Amino acid sequence: MTYSLRRVYAIFQKDLKDVLKNMFITTSLPVPLVFALIASRDPNPPVEAHFMFINLVLVMITAFLQSAIIAEEKEKNTLRGLMLSPATTLEILNGKSLLTFVFTIVTIMVGAAISGYEPANLWLVAVAFLFSIFFYLALGTLIGLYTKSMMEASVLLMPILLVFGFGTMHRAFIEEYAFLSFTEYFPNIQLLELAENVQTGAGIADVWPALTIILAWSIVMFLLVIIVFKRREIDE
Amino acid sequence: MTVLHIQNLEKQSEDAIIFPAFSLEVAEGQLVAIHSTTNVRSVLLHLLIGKTVISNGEIYIHNEKLSRRKAREHLPFGISFLDEGYYERLTVREHFTFYQRLYGSAHSIDEVLSRVQLESVEHKKGRHLTFSEKKRLKLARLLIEDPDLMVLEEPDQNVDVETKRVLLKIFREQQHKQKSILVLTGNMESAITLTDQVYRLDEKGLEAFEVEEPAQSSEEETQGSDREFDQSQPIQFNKIPTKVNEKIILFDPPEIDYIESHSGQSHLYIMSESFSCVFTLAELEQRLQPYGFFRCHRSYIVNLQKVREVVTWTRNSYSLILDDQKKSEIPLSKSKMAELKGMLGLN
Repeated sequence: MTYSLRRVYAIFQKDLKDVLKNMFITTSLPVPLVFALIASRDPNPPVEAHFMFINLVLVMITAFLQSAIIAEEKEKNTLRGLMLSPATTLEILNGKSLLTFVFTIVTIMVGAAISGYEPANLWLVAVAFLFSIFFYLALGTLIGLYTKSMMEASVLLMPILLVFGFGTMHRAFIEEYAFLSFTEYFPNIQLLELAENVQTGAGIADVWPALTIILAWSIVMFLLVIIVFKRREIDE
Repeated sequence: MTVLHIQNLEKQSEDAIIFPAFSLEVAEGQLVAIHSTTNVRSVLLHLLIGKTVISNGEIYIHNEKLSRRKAREHLPFGISFLDEGYYERLTVREHFTFYQRLYGSAHSIDEVLSRVQLESVEHKKGRHLTFSEKKRLKLARLLIEDPDLMVLEEPDQNVDVETKRVLLKIFREQQHKQKSILVLTGNMESAITLTDQVYRLDEKGLEAFEVEEPAQSSEEETQGSDREFDQSQPIQFNKIPTKVNEKIILFDPPEIDYIESHSGQSHLYIMSESFSCVFTLAELEQRLQPYGFFRCHRSYIVNLQKVREVVTWTRNSYSLILDDQKKSEIPLSKSKMAELKGMLGLN
């Protein structure tokens, strides 16, 4: 079976129409933007304030949307039809990832415009964002593959939201409790530290460890997706 | 040309035989139905889509062996499940656009819309459609895909008369285009009305079910013996005995809605419940004729008092709709139609 962009695009368009009419999703999309508004009230906000909303976007949109649109196909018994169609599983997942990706980029750009976030080195930060988005996309796919309904997916997302979404706030805890120091290597904190360093003038030579850590997280997550995918029948 | 060829397919589950080895061929332009229980049907469907491994026997599509791997990648035939989903928030037209792109189909959306008679609701969202409209929406997916072989699970379960008409029309059109259809159903009436060749599949195997009656002569024979029977019974005993477990229950003929014969056993239907009866259909026909019963099909006798409607699907396919709770549909064969018209004084 050859890979067909036409089918990926067909799935992307179908999901776009569907998501835009889904009240549950359309009402949760603007939530991170509220945090962008809060950040914009400070005339000179710290980088951490911007990342409050960016991390929320990554969890609430990238991971949640991806898992929700996969889980809903299962819930509504439409995934089997898709699987039996000429579209391969890779094409189905890519069509959905494309949609999530577009939504993530658009929300981050809108949010950055609201909060007034301007990275000192745009390209470096963009690459870090890209790696992070890959991580959360894979995380969302994993949740989507494991759960059977949208409700289940959003419940599973709660702990993830606490750890990764509001995670930058617990840096204060780390200073107090040494055993939590491993969380410094979490992709969200690495992304924040990278952005902070970039803002103070760091270049690629200084931030490559953070970039590598984020990339490693996404690669591990992708491998997990592949393992789960091979072992589980997607339509069950 | 054979489109579907099932060879010595067999399935056992632990100690129970679900169905013994059977072979079946479906040729181009053939409409075939397999009547079975839900369990047998779902096992067969799982084998077809590669959800379970075919351990004994083979399935060929266009002379190409169906492997589990191949079935999972891309099914070489179209399939429609009973519990198939639809997109609640997409309109009918959006569904069609999506399917058209997904299957790379050359069929125009408007053409398919009119074939399944959904033009009037094309801008309605999936969740606002009626049950029968949803059913037609699911059928439309197959029409857009337009495979050489369609496998349909219970295509007309609980649908309205309009949908059944649409279904019959589409079946005939597919047949004209030399495309084949396999219907899997638990409803004998729907199997007989929709297709030309009906099989029954159960733990005893696959058995062809004769749809057209073989000869008219046997008919006259029963008519003759009918009078004999009346004379030979000085005391009129009219009740029909049925057996439920160890009990014998007697029914008054007017209580009976209809009688169906399958697996060599006649079954009386009373208030939507089935009771098996020791008499053959021919014997029952003799006994019941004076009460206004009518042999409307080789394997059916109907109580004419209970008939509400005679539906003409196509020029030679008819059904009787009864006045009972379930609005049961009984097949009426072509040759019996004339006889019935005569009885009703229509010609």
